[in-house]
Amino acid sequence: MKQQTRNNKRINIITMNIKDILTPFTAWSKVVQDPVTIKDPLTREAAPRYRGFHKNDIDMCIGCGTCEDICENQAIDMVPVEGVETKSGDSGLRPRIDYGRCCWCALCVDICTTNSLNLTNEYTWVDADPEVFIYTPGVDKKSWDDKEDGWQKPVPNYHFYGQKRVHMGELHADERKDSFIEFVKGYSKEQAEMEADRCVSCGICTATCPAHMGIPEYIAAVRNDDMEEGMRILYETNPLPEICGRICTHKCEDVCSVGVNGDALSIRWLKRYIADQIPADVEKYNEILYTKDIKKNDKKIAVIGSGPAGLSAAYYLGLLGYSVTIFEKLPEAGGMMRYGIPSYRLPYDQIDKDVDYILSIGVDIKYNVNIGTDITLQQLNDDYDAVYAGTGLHLGRSTRIPGSDHKNVYQSVDLLRDIVTGAPVPVEKKIVVIGGGNVAMDITRSMARLQMEKYGEVNVIATALEDEEHMPADREEIVEAREEGCDVIPAYGPQEVIIKDDKVIGLKVWKCLSIFDETGFNPKFDESDERIFEGDMVIESIGQGMDLSYLSEDIKAKMEFGPRGRILVNEDWQAKGLPWLFIGGDIIEGPDVIHGIANGHRGAMSIDEFLNQGR
Amino acid sequence: MSNKFFQPDRSKYPSMKDDGTLDVDLSSQKYTKIWLGPNHPGVTGNMAVEMTLGGDEIVQAKTHVGYLHRGFEKLIERRLFVQGFPTSIRMCVAEPDTNEYLIARSTEELSGLTDRVPEMAEWLRTLALEMARLQGLLRGVPGQAGTYSLGIGVQWGVYLRDLILDRFEELTGARVYHMYIIPGGVRGLLPSGFKRRMEDNLTDIDDFIVRIRKLIFHNSVFKSRAVGSAVIPKEWIDKFGIVGTNARASGVKRDVRKDNPYLKYSELDFDPPTATDGDVYSRTWVRWQELVQTVDLIRQIMAKMPEKGDIRGDMPNALHWKIPKGETYVKLESGRGEYGMYYVTDGSSKPRRVNLRGPSYTHAIAVLEKMLINTNIADVHATMVSLQTCPPEIER
Amino acid sequence: MKSLIERVSTKYNLQEVVQQRDNLVFAYVDKELAIDMVTYMRDYEGYAHFTLMSCVDWIEDGKFQLLYLLNNPETKTEFGIKVAIDRDNAVMQSAHHLWEQIWTYQRELKEAFGIDFPGSPRVDEDFVVEGWDDMPHMRRDFDTNKYAEETYFMREGRKSYDPATYMREKLYPKQPVTAKKNKDEQ
Repeated sequence: MKQQTRNNKRINIITMNIKDILTPFTAWSKVVQDPVTIKDPLTREAAPRYRGFHKNDIDMCIGCGTCEDICENQAIDMVPVEGVETKSGDSGLRPRIDYGRCCWCALCVDICTTNSLNLTNEYTWVDADPEVFIYTPGVDKKSWDDKEDGWQKPVPNYHFYGQKRVHMGELHADERKDSFIEFVKGYSKEQAEMEADRCVSCGICTATCPAHMGIPEYIAAVRNDDMEEGMRILYETNPLPEICGRICTHKCEDVCSVGVNGDALSIRWLKRYIADQIPADVEKYNEILYTKDIKKNDKKIAVIGSGPAGLSAAYYLGLLGYSVTIFEKLPEAGGMMRYGIPSYRLPYDQIDKDVDYILSIGVDIKYNVNIGTDITLQQLNDDYDAVYAGTGLHLGRSTRIPGSDHKNVYQSVDLLRDIVTGAPVPVEKKIVVIGGGNVAMDITRSMARLQMEKYGEVNVIATALEDEEHMPADREEIVEAREEGCDVIPAYGPQEVIIKDDKVIGLKVWKCLSIFDETGFNPKFDESDERIFEGDMVIESIGQGMDLSYLSEDIKAKMEFGPRGRILVNEDWQAKGLPWLFIGGDIIEGPDVIHGIANGHRGAMSIDEFLNQGR
Repeated sequence: MSNKFFQPDRSKYPSMKDDGTLDVDLSSQKYTKIWLGPNHPGVTGNMAVEMTLGGDEIVQAKTHVGYLHRGFEKLIERRLFVQGFPTSIRMCVAEPDTNEYLIARSTEELSGLTDRVPEMAEWLRTLALEMARLQGLLRGVPGQAGTYSLGIGVQWGVYLRDLILDRFEELTGARVYHMYIIPGGVRGLLPSGFKRRMEDNLTDIDDFIVRIRKLIFHNSVFKSRAVGSAVIPKEWIDKFGIVGTNARASGVKRDVRKDNPYLKYSELDFDPPTATDGDVYSRTWVRWQELVQTVDLIRQIMAKMPEKGDIRGDMPNALHWKIPKGETYVKLESGRGEYGMYYVTDGSSKPRRVNLRGPSYTHAIAVLEKMLINTNIADVHATMVSLQTCPPEIER
Repeated sequence: MKSLIERVSTKYNLQEVVQQRDNLVFAYVDKELAIDMVTYMRDYEGYAHFTLMSCVDWIEDGKFQLLYLLNNPETKTEFGIKVAIDRDNAVMQSAHHLWEQIWTYQRELKEAFGIDFPGSPRVDEDFVVEGWDDMPHMRRDFDTNKYAEETYFMREGRKSYDPATYMREKLYPKQPVTAKKNKDEQ
């Protein structure tokens, strides 16, 4: 080895020549060239894409905390900030960056759901105090806050989570408009897991959900394909997952952080997916939810009404060991969910599935019992330790326009109930519906189906006071109604039901300019824009009222009522003046299913607290 | 410096014991122990060589690493799949992009999502890797002469390297640690005007290539020091696992870009340069030819790459990405040779094991320790630089 | 590659053979046969280039998985020979005589995982973490977070709030949650 090295050297020394001494001097030519150094390195602007210090648009930011989750150095804290209010859709927290840890990878920018967090291309910041290198961008003012250049989420098609919602299969309008079978098909396992993968698990939605369901947690259960765990999470806060999974008003999806720059998560369909995976077998339910042997106590509770609030209260009271009896006026359980919502949206067997499980944990139900006539409220008070009333809104409200007292002017709630009970429902060739809410869409689409059955064609007009953008019905309801051939005409206010020869022939409407002014509800119309919607029958669907006939006069006398006859309750949902009577459901909040479930749950906990006072 | 006229009396040198180790008795006062490093001795990183000297000749050498150890492999085990790449780049400062690519490719392969990486991203990855090689060579080629106190070339090279870093800055948002290649694709398209500015830089580098050739390779000082010094015989290649330019300079043509083409290398026209002597001069010469080739490759890439396209395919949600149990070994050709990553997943959202295989693992320990024996102390730096030792990839 | 796998499979009783790519195969071999197989692959199958020696800690199975990754420069293929060794009795036959760099790997594995290779040169010398007196640092049960917390001090004043929990405290502190039941309570 050593020998070889030396031999090589000798050979090469021989091959060296004069050129090898002279050519290096060519380097001297550089002497006359201009220097290449930057004259003033301190003001050198970094490239437009440079990753320097953070800035955050705190008005755009919703405090979802995904930046904190993706940070690989735990450099980000989510902290409360003065002037930013915690409210639905905004946690009120904002990211604070610790530059002792930040490595300027900008993953926080790439995942930011609102695109509010960016890095500027500012990179010089000198200070003698190390403690200043931790700050909340956008809140603690910095000289680079207004800089445009810097790292922003790359384009095109660069996303850390799916932007597009997984398409939900539905029956085509032509297939569905002549029957009441359910038309939303539900997710397959693959679809559900794909949709669940889009969730960033921030939990912003939980506060907006009236029942405050553990949404990110059950979506995680879908991802992990653990349906039993998913069910347990659902039942923590919601004993009607099959129902809610279909007809919930999904307020959560409105605030979904993924929805800020993409499609919001299909939270409702994922909930339905979990519940759908468990067979309709109460034994199985009891096993999964560990409710086989609930230890009973000696207290008895009466629940009036088996709507969402009543069922929810009964379920959670039942879990706590109370003997619960539900009194239902109608022949089957479910309240408005059964008698108000058409079965193409919510099939009856799904209601039965949820109700059967609630009954299986030891809740008793008595059908066809009318409180006030069959049994008095006072009697319930005598026989039971507490009473929960979730009696709902079952009376239709009239527009009181001229002609609205005609016999061919109907209330949507009555018709919807009749469709379910099988009572004869009048179906005319041309129908006009007044109202732009979900109930109005329900009756519109139900009547369309009945028209298809009877006449083979759809001829329904639904007219709403509100304009297209402000119609209270869910967007998809309006779209689907139109797909099925119904005519939804927004921004017209009903003026008169036109009657000729004692027959309804149409509805006169004026263009609606505005609905509210400073005094409240006070619609303004453009009388010159008048239209007549032809129709042989008119259905009013502008809201419902409560039927409090079950309250006897002496009981009423002890209670307190607010404006428009509302029962006043304290924060524990206890009727003011009657500590043993707890109120819930649409007559207090809502109206919708999820609010009913939420205050049923709260009511149950309040009853438990009330009955355990002094223990 | 060994003198070709005066040779020391070898009989005074330590004899070999039965077990193969040298019989060095420090108390005899014939030997000196000195340390090279662990300060940064040029472009070789913080590594120490513990040398036992007899006179000015090394009789024993031991490599000490660990001065840059921050447990990156372990840290990546505790991070999500998307979070790994900003940490990985620190495992090789000289060409950080190589680590990003290995992490990205491993996660994509084990997820079965390699098809989703867009064409455009593949080209940009190739470009970033070649730019990384270029900036490494701009420092490495003149750096070799720098170890013989020929500093001027280093100054030229570092200036041009800074220009390439400028291009990195506008492409990736950072100069040294680019964090550009992410699982699923890359993090940005070429900014407008990039190709023109790059071409300007390449023209400057063309000029540099000619000048550095005159300055170094036709230089009597460099020749007398580098020729015949620190020779890697051909039979060492497999015995020591020598790769890259170190192997090619000894006449063994191995290049991952050709042997197992990855990214867009199969669409590029190039032939890895080789030499036969395996000494410092040959290794530097091979690297100089690579410099010429890399400039050409970057021109080819810029000409062939599409104008626009997606930069990242649809990947699972970064926060919930899970990869089924599996393992793979992904490799590429870095400026120092075959650079690979053994990546193991266990079905969770984090890797089970990430093991980087850097060429220096053998070059800087087994090869260097063997090679330094009987070397003059003045040649140690040159030997280290010629092997392109890079301690962070040893200790990770 | 297929014929090679068949040939070697019968000879060395390979288990869990996985062809990860056209040019990459992983397979388990019995601990006793491993070094023999590595030698055979080097001398008779052309796998002359030793790429990597590595270890994976499958702590849940009580095993260390050693990997000898060999490369055939002619066929441009890689063969990963895996060996499961007992975690409690982590000793493996040394392969330092086969390639010059192997003793370095073995020295690292001794330090990082605590696997002994009797007879391997300098196997007990510190490699990366000189003066380390804790458990081998690459083992899965070595908790880097805990180590960092005990060894270094954290910056004062750092506190973070979880958005969902914070919103609960602010907006609906009274809303009940039925505690999720687990099997034990039943």
